[in-house]
Amino acid sequence: MTSINSTADMRNFLETYDGPAVRIMEVCGTHTHEIFRQGIRRFLSPKINLISGPGCPVCVTPAAYIDEAVYLALEKGCTLTTFGDLVRVPGNVKSLQQARAEGGKVKIVYSPIDAEKYAKDHPEEQVVFLSVGFETTTPSDVIAVKNAVRDGLDNFSLLTANKTMPGAYEAMASSTDAYLYPGHVHAIIGTKLCRDLAERGVSGTIAGFTGDELLAALAVTVKNVSEGKPFFVNAYPRVVTDEGSPAAVALVDKFMKPCDAEWRGIGVIPDSGVELRDEYAAYDARKKYSVPKMEFERKTACKCGIVLQGKILPSECPLFGKACNPDHPVGACMVSDEGACSAFYMYGGQS
Amino acid sequence: MCVGLAAKIISVKDGVAMVDCTGAKREISAELLDDLEPGDYVMVHAGCAIAKITDDDKSETEKVLKENLA
Repeated sequence: MTSINSTADMRNFLETYDGPAVRIMEVCGTHTHEIFRQGIRRFLSPKINLISGPGCPVCVTPAAYIDEAVYLALEKGCTLTTFGDLVRVPGNVKSLQQARAEGGKVKIVYSPIDAEKYAKDHPEEQVVFLSVGFETTTPSDVIAVKNAVRDGLDNFSLLTANKTMPGAYEAMASSTDAYLYPGHVHAIIGTKLCRDLAERGVSGTIAGFTGDELLAALAVTVKNVSEGKPFFVNAYPRVVTDEGSPAAVALVDKFMKPCDAEWRGIGVIPDSGVELRDEYAAYDARKKYSVPKMEFERKTACKCGIVLQGKILPSECPLFGKACNPDHPVGACMVSDEGACSAFYMYGGQS
Repeated sequence: MCVGLAAKIISVKDGVAMVDCTGAKREISAELLDDLEPGDYVMVHAGCAIAKITDDDKSETEKVLKENLA
């Protein structure tokens, strides 16, 4: 193989690749969007098949979680604080947007740390932050709880649906030849897990988010897969170090413990989530307000579940672009900017 | 929600930093990182700096290519 030294070389390699077919799952929703936005999908060789994986936290949050949040807003009178893209996600009964129209208080914040500040400034309100996210977001959730303890607040809590990636990597390994690992998750947890997975035959490359970083990660991945040996490459070393962020890991561990978690469309993956430890139960909205288990499940023709597993393309869902579009999303993958369906819709990816 | 943004530190005090993110200024938590100084670049997720970074993806890509595809 001629050496690859420049952006043009990387593009040429990915465009003209004619080796064995390669399936690459981009785990991170932001990768899905950036790959589209930068036009990379358009020139990839037909031998390179990109699969959009489960790495959009809003998309993998089960509808029953929205039902719990709606219950807190409408039945318990709590003020919900949340990232904006959760507001329009359909629950089994209604979305937070609909709950707001019915008088529920739903406030969009930039971060959980801001939600805690809001609670401090509004002692007359019971504030719940909708704690949804992966390893990248959980440290902020924990800092918010830590600040609430510091400030002596009794009106702030988290409704947790925090997820962790290792279990998902294991669960999805048969769907792909290699992962494009989410750069910022590994900025927190480091690279040891990826090295261990490579020893067990699960390959992948940690990728950054700029055009060159994505091209480099894809080129490295295609070359290694085509050579047939399990591998791991960190192609985002300006952000991801081998040890990750021990400070973040230690902080999360102090406040949170592993738990089983339900992933929309995938089901329950053991130890793939974290929840507040018992000593912080006062900050756990589920315990504080004795939220009942939400059993009702709405049936729709939405295929988000198998889209998230990379089994079909968004455009193969019967609702895509018709009953389900960004103005009227049926499934979470069409709501969030990081969702695969939203990316396919926005960038015209019909195939 | 789950989008990381690179930002430049303007000032830092008591675990809280003011950052410049392509012109927008805001306060973030800096308590996960030691030794931050004005001018450093960090990756910000959900209002929290999670990693100190360089803003240069060019030399990084050159290195990745040299090690893996040369």
